[in-house]
Amino acid sequence: MGRVAREMVEKAGINVDQLVELLVKNAAAELTTYYYYTILRCNLIGLEGEGIKEIAETARIEDRNHFEALVPRIYELGGQLPGDMKVFNDMSACPPASLPKDPRDVTAILKVLVEAERCAVRGYTYICNLTAGKDHRTYDLSQAILNEEIEHESWFSEFLGEGPSGHFLRRGETSPFVSKFLR
Amino acid sequence: MREFTEKELAEYNGRNGRPAYVGYKGKVYDVSHSFLWRHGTHQVIHNAGLDLTDALQKAPHNDEVLKKFPVVGILVSFRKGKQHLPH
Ligand code: HEM
Repeated sequence: MGRVAREMVEKAGINVDQLVELLVKNAAAELTTYYYYTILRCNLIGLEGEGIKEIAETARIEDRNHFEALVPRIYELGGQLPGDMKVFNDMSACPPASLPKDPRDVTAILKVLVEAERCAVRGYTYICNLTAGKDHRTYDLSQAILNEEIEHESWFSEFLGEGPSGHFLRRGETSPFVSKFLR
Repeated sequence: MREFTEKELAEYNGRNGRPAYVGYKGKVYDVSHSFLWRHGTHQVIHNAGLDLTDALQKAPHNDEVLKKFPVVGILVSFRKGKQHLPH
């Protein structure tokens, strides 16, 4: 634990135990999403599916990166991951991104993907609001993650015909925003 | 439809296997089956068994999220004129 790091956040008026629990729940959402996206990505096949496979794969890898980036902050603030992975699964901040009943229905898969990203955008916006001007490091981290989640949402929503977002798929390395927390 | 006082609503806090109900703008919703309301808590800070009308204003989503949950009653303290009428 970073004793003073935690103390500073407490002094700023944040309930650190609640914040840590929220971070653990979001870490659970990232790791479970990584798992579910693996299944979704495997099923993105055929003429319609293949075109989406690459962004689904990028989102999958970046979500795993988000998990990796959140973990050190959880422990710095005196928190920990639950010893039982089933408990971790059940505390996820977002519902499971399960494969639709008809796995050949690419539009249904896209809806699962976009809803998962929207849940994440909501969650990190909330953490940013909670920590802004108070917990600079958690803010910096959740804002970096938020940047990537917003781009994921826009990729999938474009395929659903919700209008242009101005974004393109990743060029170069994954996690352009979060990578500084992974080094 | 069943009428709930705030005290009655408090029984449905989702803990120890009890159903999880939340009050919102005079209506009582059953969120027991939501993955995000397990054990009657939501995103660490919110608990079932309460009137969450004000809390929802600060949430990162609107009340659309409640649409898919059944309304199981009305909250009487509300009807007796606190803020909004049920609609
Ligand atoms: C600061 C507080 C809150 C946060 C951070 C929060 C966060 C979230 C998030 C991230 C989701 C998932 C949305 C999605 O999938 O796109 C959600 C869903 C939901 N929230 Fe909240 N929320 C808050 C307050 C509330 C309040 C006060 C209520 C009261 C009624 C509420 C009721 C719900 C419901 C019913 C759902 C849908 C659950 C489901 O589909 O299973 N939330 N919330």
